[in-house]
Amino acid sequence: MKAVLVTHADLPLGRRIVKLLWHEPGIGRIVALGEGPAPRAFDAFRVGAEPRLVYERLDHARQRSVSDWFRSRRLREIGPEAVLYVPRHGVVPEGPPVVARVPARIAEARLVLHHALEHRSVRALVALGSAFVYALSPGNANHLREDSPLWLDPDAPAALRAWIDSDMLFQAEAGRARSAWPSGSSGGRRLRVVLLRVPTVVASGGYVYLHPLLEGAAGPRPRPAGFDPLCPVIADKDVARAVAAALASDAAGVFQVAGRERVPLSVLGRWTGRPTLPVPGPLLRVVALGAARLGLGDAALDAPLARYGMSLDVRRAAAALGFEPRYRIGLARAGDGALRLEAVPAPA
Amino acid sequence: MSANGDPRERPFLAGDPFAAAAGPDPLAPWLDALDRWAPGAGLRAAVAAEIAAAPPEVEPEEPAPQAPPIEPPIEPPIERPRARAPRLAELELDADWRRLARWVGEDPARRLALVASRVEGWDRFGLAPGVLRQAFPYFYALYRTWFRVRSEGHARVPEGPVVLAANHGGLLPFDGAMAVVDLLLHGDPPRLARAIVDRWAGSLPWVNVFFARVGQVVGTHENFERLLEDGEAVLVFPEGVEGIRKPISQRHRLQRFHVGFVEHALRARAPIVPMAILGSDDQAPILFDVKPLARLLGLPAAPITPTFPWFGPLGLLPYPVGYRIVYGEPLRFHERFGPNAAEDPAVVRALAGQVRRAVQRLIDERR
Repeated sequence: MKAVLVTHADLPLGRRIVKLLWHEPGIGRIVALGEGPAPRAFDAFRVGAEPRLVYERLDHARQRSVSDWFRSRRLREIGPEAVLYVPRHGVVPEGPPVVARVPARIAEARLVLHHALEHRSVRALVALGSAFVYALSPGNANHLREDSPLWLDPDAPAALRAWIDSDMLFQAEAGRARSAWPSGSSGGRRLRVVLLRVPTVVASGGYVYLHPLLEGAAGPRPRPAGFDPLCPVIADKDVARAVAAALASDAAGVFQVAGRERVPLSVLGRWTGRPTLPVPGPLLRVVALGAARLGLGDAALDAPLARYGMSLDVRRAAAALGFEPRYRIGLARAGDGALRLEAVPAPA
Repeated sequence: MSANGDPRERPFLAGDPFAAAAGPDPLAPWLDALDRWAPGAGLRAAVAAEIAAAPPEVEPEEPAPQAPPIEPPIEPPIERPRARAPRLAELELDADWRRLARWVGEDPARRLALVASRVEGWDRFGLAPGVLRQAFPYFYALYRTWFRVRSEGHARVPEGPVVLAANHGGLLPFDGAMAVVDLLLHGDPPRLARAIVDRWAGSLPWVNVFFARVGQVVGTHENFERLLEDGEAVLVFPEGVEGIRKPISQRHRLQRFHVGFVEHALRARAPIVPMAILGSDDQAPILFDVKPLARLLGLPAAPITPTFPWFGPLGLLPYPVGYRIVYGEPLRFHERFGPNAAEDPAVVRALAGQVRRAVQRLIDERR
C-alpha cells in the first residue's frame, strides 16, 4: 500500500495505530493528522529529508481546514490509498457544534467520509466506531451481533447520539453496495468501507477509552445502584491490530472486535482508577437532568448502558478479517507494588 | 379438539410419531403390579434395566399420509468439537472449594467446581464462579431440607445442546433454582442449566446482577441462540409470567405456551426434554391476582396469598412443600423437521403444543 492517512493521530489510539503501521512492511508512507502538536512519540519516525511519517495539524471538524488539506497538492502527491478514521477520544472535549446543532463527532465523520469518497486515490476507508450504539434489553447479558438493532431512542443523550449517527453514516456507505452487506466483499466498488465497532478500550497503566461513563480523567463515577453491567473490553494494541487486519483484507462492512475478557463495570472502574459509586436510580436521573439543564453535558449516567451489560459476537471479524485478540487484560503488580491494569500478550 | 381441550392445539400433523411416542407407557401397569407383588425386591429396576439393554425395535418409517415432509433432506446433526472435560475425581479442589465441600459434601462441591472450572473470570452472560460458589450452599439447603426434592429421569437429558421445557409456578422462581440444582447434582456429567428469565427480571436492581452471576440469562433471541451454540442445557418456562401468577384454582394446569424455544431448538438441532416440576404450584398458592393494581405498579402480578401481603415480604417465602422433578423423553423434532421449519409459525405452534401436552402428561401421571 502506497500511503495511509490516519485521523486524530495525536490521541492515544491514533498514536498506537501509527506505531503499529510504521512496522508494517506493506505500508509506504503514513500521513498522520492531529489537532494538537505532533506527539513526541513520533519524533523518532520523522527523521530524514523524506520521512515516512508526515504529521499535519488540522481541525477535523472544520470543513475549510479538512477540505483544504484533502485537496492540497501535497496530499495529491502522496496519494493515500486508505483512510483510517480514528474518532476523537480520551480527555479531548467534544467542543461546541461547528455547524448549527451538529456535534463535532458527526461533522468530522461526515467530512472524512465525503473526502474519502471524493479523493480518487483512496481505495479503503476503515472507521473506528463504538459498540455502545446498540439498543440494550433489560438484563445483564445482551449478546450482540453486527445486525442487532441500534439505539434510536430520541431521548438518548447527545454524546451517545453522536456516536450512533456517525456509526450510521459509515454503515450506510458500507451497505450501499448490496454485495458488500453482509457477505463481506467490496462488490467491486472503488471505496471499500469497513466499520469496526469496538467496546471499551483499555491500555496498560489503567487508561480507558471509548466508554461513555469511564472515559476522561481518573476519579469516581456515579452508576445506578443495583446494576453492574458486563462490559467487554479490548486492549489498545488489539485495536491497532484489528485496524491493520481490516486494512490488509478485502472485506467490507461492519465488524465487531473485542478482547477475550468481559468485566463488570464496577470492577473495570476499580481497575482503571475510576471507582463507581452506586447512586439510587431516581436520584441519578435528577442529577443527570440537572446537569443537562445547567449545560454541563448530558452524560449517559442513566442510559441503558449504565444498567444493562453486553457481550459482542466477534465471529464475523474472525472469519472475514482473520482477527483474533492476542492481548489478555487483567491486574498485575507493578514495580511500586501497586496493582494496575495490564494488557499482556497471551501465551501461544 | 386436542387432548387438553385447547382448540389452539389441534394436532394438524396426522401420523406424527412424537404424538405416539409421548403416549402412556404400556408397560407401566405391569411394572406397578410387580412393585405391589414384591415391593422390596427391586424387580421394577431389573425389568427396566432389561428393557434398556434390549436392542430397540426398529419400526419401518412410513411417510405421514396427510403431512408431507416440510424439509425432505434431513441433515445430519452438526458435530461440535468438545474438549475433554476433567473427571470429577481428577479435579483438585482449592481452599475455597474445600470450604464449600465441608458445608455441602464432597460430591456436590466437586460437581460445582467442575462446572465452574470451565469459566474464567466472567462468562459472556455474566456468570461468575465465585458468586456461584457463595450462593450454592443456600440453594443446596433449600433443595435438601426445605423442598426435599426427589427427581427421576436424569439419564434422559442428552449431552450437548438441549432445551429443558418445564412448567412454572409459585410466584417466585424457586422451581427454576431447584431444577438447576437438580441437574447439577444428578447430571452425568454435571451441567449447569442456564435458565431463561423474563426481561422484567432483568430490569430489577440487584436481582438482575444476581441472576446473571449465577448463570441465568435474559431471554433475548441472540442469547438463546448463543447458549445452544455453546452446547448448554437451556431451561425454559414456556408459560412465562402467566405460569407463576396463575391462581390456585388452576394449579397443575399448564397455561398457554410461548413458542420461541421451539424455533431455537429447531435451528440449533437441539432436542427438547419436557420436564414436570411438581410442588411449585403449592409453594405460594395465589388466591387472587389484583391485575389493576399490578398494571398500576408496573408489576407482572399483584398476588394475594394466605400469607402475602399480610406478613409483609416474609409472606413471599415459599411453603416447605415437597418437590418432585421428572424428566421426560427427549423430543427430537429437529430429526424430522429441518431448521427451516422454524420459519413456519404453524409448525412451530403445533410442536410447542406437543411439548405442552408432554409436560402436562408428566404432571398428570406423577401428581
